[in-house]
Amino acid sequence: MFLEQLINGVTLGSIYAIVALGYTLVFGVLDIINMAHGEIFMFGAFVGMLLVSKAGVPLPVAFLGAIAVTGAMGFLLERAALRPLRSRPGASNLASLISTIGVSILLENAAHRIFGAGNHPFETPFAEIRFPVGPVNVYLVQVLILLISLLLMAGLALWLSRTRGGKALRATAEDLTTAGLLGVDTDRMITVTVVIASAMGGVAGVLIGMAFNYINNQIGLSMGLKGLAIIIFGGMGSVYGAMAGGLILGLSETFVVAYGSSGYRDAIAFVIIIGVLLVRPQGLFGQAAPGTGH
Amino acid sequence: MEWINPYHLQVASFVLINVILGTSIYVTLSTGQLSLGNAGFMSIGAYAAALLATKYALPIPVGVAAGALLAGAAGALVGIPSLRLSGVYLAIATLGFGEVIRAVAINWESLTGGAVGIAAIPQMGRVVLAGARDLGFSPASLGLKPNQFISLTVFLILLVAAVLTVAFFLRLGRSRVGRAYAAIRLDERAAEASGIPVTYYKVLAFSQGAMVSGLAGALYAHATSFISPADFTYHRAVEILVFAVFGGSGHILGPAFGAAFLTVVPEALRAISHYRYILYGVLVVLVVIYRPQGVIDPPLLRRMRGDRAAEAA
Amino acid sequence: MKVRLQALAVLSSALFALVFLGAEKPRPRVEPIKARIGVISIITGQGAGYGEAITNGIRLARDEVNARGEVYIDLKIEDSSGKQEQALSAAQKLIHSEQVVAIIGPTLSNEMKVVGPEANASGVPIMGTSTTAKGITQIGKYVFRNALPESQAIPASIGMAVKKYNLRQVALLYGNDDVFTKSGFDTMKEVSENRKLRILTVQEFQKGQADYKAQLTKIASLRPDAVFCSALYEEGAVILSQARKMGIKVPFVGGNGFNSPKVIEIARDAADGLIVATPWFVDRNDPKVKAFVAKYEKAYGKKPDQFAAQAYDAFHIVANALKAAGAADRDRLRDALAATKDFDGVLGKFSFDAERDVVMEPNVLIVQGGKFRVFQ
Repeated sequence: MFLEQLINGVTLGSIYAIVALGYTLVFGVLDIINMAHGEIFMFGAFVGMLLVSKAGVPLPVAFLGAIAVTGAMGFLLERAALRPLRSRPGASNLASLISTIGVSILLENAAHRIFGAGNHPFETPFAEIRFPVGPVNVYLVQVLILLISLLLMAGLALWLSRTRGGKALRATAEDLTTAGLLGVDTDRMITVTVVIASAMGGVAGVLIGMAFNYINNQIGLSMGLKGLAIIIFGGMGSVYGAMAGGLILGLSETFVVAYGSSGYRDAIAFVIIIGVLLVRPQGLFGQAAPGTGH
Repeated sequence: MEWINPYHLQVASFVLINVILGTSIYVTLSTGQLSLGNAGFMSIGAYAAALLATKYALPIPVGVAAGALLAGAAGALVGIPSLRLSGVYLAIATLGFGEVIRAVAINWESLTGGAVGIAAIPQMGRVVLAGARDLGFSPASLGLKPNQFISLTVFLILLVAAVLTVAFFLRLGRSRVGRAYAAIRLDERAAEASGIPVTYYKVLAFSQGAMVSGLAGALYAHATSFISPADFTYHRAVEILVFAVFGGSGHILGPAFGAAFLTVVPEALRAISHYRYILYGVLVVLVVIYRPQGVIDPPLLRRMRGDRAAEAA
Repeated sequence: MKVRLQALAVLSSALFALVFLGAEKPRPRVEPIKARIGVISIITGQGAGYGEAITNGIRLARDEVNARGEVYIDLKIEDSSGKQEQALSAAQKLIHSEQVVAIIGPTLSNEMKVVGPEANASGVPIMGTSTTAKGITQIGKYVFRNALPESQAIPASIGMAVKKYNLRQVALLYGNDDVFTKSGFDTMKEVSENRKLRILTVQEFQKGQADYKAQLTKIASLRPDAVFCSALYEEGAVILSQARKMGIKVPFVGGNGFNSPKVIEIARDAADGLIVATPWFVDRNDPKVKAFVAKYEKAYGKKPDQFAAQAYDAFHIVANALKAAGAADRDRLRDALAATKDFDGVLGKFSFDAERDVVMEPNVLIVQGGKFRVFQ
């Protein structure tokens, strides 16, 4: 049973990690928590589901479709709810937190009107492929999820540290005004960041649908809360922290069920947060001193 | 007395409870600490009051006071380790505290009843009516029907509680404590350098905020007569945060306004039930964009006061 | 054969009822009794799927009743968002501003525990169509329900399953943060202990959880003869599909909440082997049920589930009581409601007991080949 639970935990953890990467990217650059991220990947999941089960397109096309839609949503989010606040001197980070909460309420209820209430099945033949590894069955989707999460993490880390765009992004994150003075188009950098983070949300949405066989307009909320927890104890803005945090949470949730009490499963994320922060207030991989939130 | 409509009083009662909750987040924010543990502290107050009333048949005021104090004590306990955290780290850690409390409420069945919750908590309006009847008073003598009297009583009790709470913190703001809070919010290091015991005041603010949440929770339990863990999810914590930031966190009247406005809006939009939360979301975004510091801020209040002074002159 | 006999019995008693009603009361040719009835349901937020089914069922019944011309009902539907405060405000609005003669709803037992005492104190009859927790109708004499509580449904389904499959050891799985699923679990545990079944493990899940694999892996490793699962169909369907994918092939036994065409829609083949007990059976060979299903499908493009059916019957029960009361008066309506006996609806024969609670015989159904069938 240990091996099976390990696979369960790693799969769940990889999904959490992909969700958390979207949060951490935006936080790393903008210093704000994008509360609408959960709802954006929920839309991605629905777009993917409609493309696969209703339009019958191949899976890679569904991924692209979801990415296109969530990327566009990220663009709109930045234009409508984040940029107007940036130019205003009186705006604290709390203001953008609240405006993204407003967007998330709007999107959750809009999804209810557009896609309908309740659960929708997410079926692809791909999700049925499995192969035996020793005594247990492994689904190809589980491998794919782990691979994609690792790829996204490595890609992001490379992009941030090696490329020109990544450097500009880090400069923007370091100091918006100075980066602007040095010739970085900071508005463009921020838009690019939010769009990339949202597009990753599209990938996350489709993967969640395939992993759990269903979606509804509430998944953004429940998974989003977990993603938020992960970036806190993983360390805000840290790509590796999001990955490690996701895996830690996925494994803890699984093993608390396997060897402890399933009644506390949902609370375990926060027990970990509280525990980690008491020892390391900046999170596991966080570098900046805490207190940058203001 | 036909114009006294229990429906309007009901909405007004929830407005007042939310005003108290808005105050609770403001108090901790006034030292620059963003605590999202309010839903958790609220549940401590609510459960304490409900259990004391149902299991030990204690009078309501005793239970409410005990609930608020217990929540305040919990606030101090959480506040001390939280000193190391700030900003979003503090926010999410306290949010996590609330979720852990809720998980305990769900799993500690012998005490809390688990998901089933606690029912038949004495409702304060009905208790007052019963007491008044024992003394030979009839609401008809005021021209009121019993349910009008009940709703009016609940409303008045909550009004007193809300006004006292807001007034207390308005006064506190002008006292030494309030000035210390403001100094810490502006610059913690400078405050420390000028001899303000920062640790003490930060924990005090945390505990005061928790106590006010606990008070709101205890009153909530006696206003609705039923509580369960589903009342204290993180949605509640986020809602309280929105009250404060939407209304304006720079002055105590900001969260109060935010609470009142955002409680009334979904009620007012009942006619378009399918779309009301979509509109609610749009409204929140628009207001935050046009007034990122919140609807009510000190300059606005000064202007209003100035206008009034000008009119009087 | 048994089904046909049952249908025959239902049909003949329906005819009898018609004859008696017709004989006793001359049809009023004058103005219909006009009444305003309030509905509190979940239109937005989590649980809106249940609210949608409920309001659909009620609207369908309203149109039928109004078309008949004996009573004319003006429906006021209010949203609770699944929150107690909103449900209470909605109730106050319906009672005092809209002056409704009765309320149907709210959806959740939690909401009813807040709304029920208020309606009762105001003397407004209120009827839950989906509130199944303990102690609902005990709130007061104005509180009714036609939702079959899990404490009646689950013993029936477990009883049949134990007999048929000779179950000895079972695993229990339930949602621990919801009143409905928690009450269902309490019944499951009690019944299992009474029947001397060995409970291998008790696993919990929480609302909104997407991944049940950890719990299911644990259950699978213990090799139970069956899984008793107290869940509402939204979660239940997902649990079933994930369980079958992991190779748990044993029967799943649930209650009334697990019964919905949605289970088959989401879980597909994985739903095979699900046993539920419910008064609602969509393929029942009964003209009333067939007519209802056809109308519902035409209006809303899907088959009705038990939430829709219970709400549909509830509305007809209230409308009938209104007719019997002879006027849109809250107290007379309450008395007429309490006197409801052998109402013949799409859920079969229905009466209130002395505590205004449900008297109904649940059917035990099993999913086979992607369809609910009578379990024999």
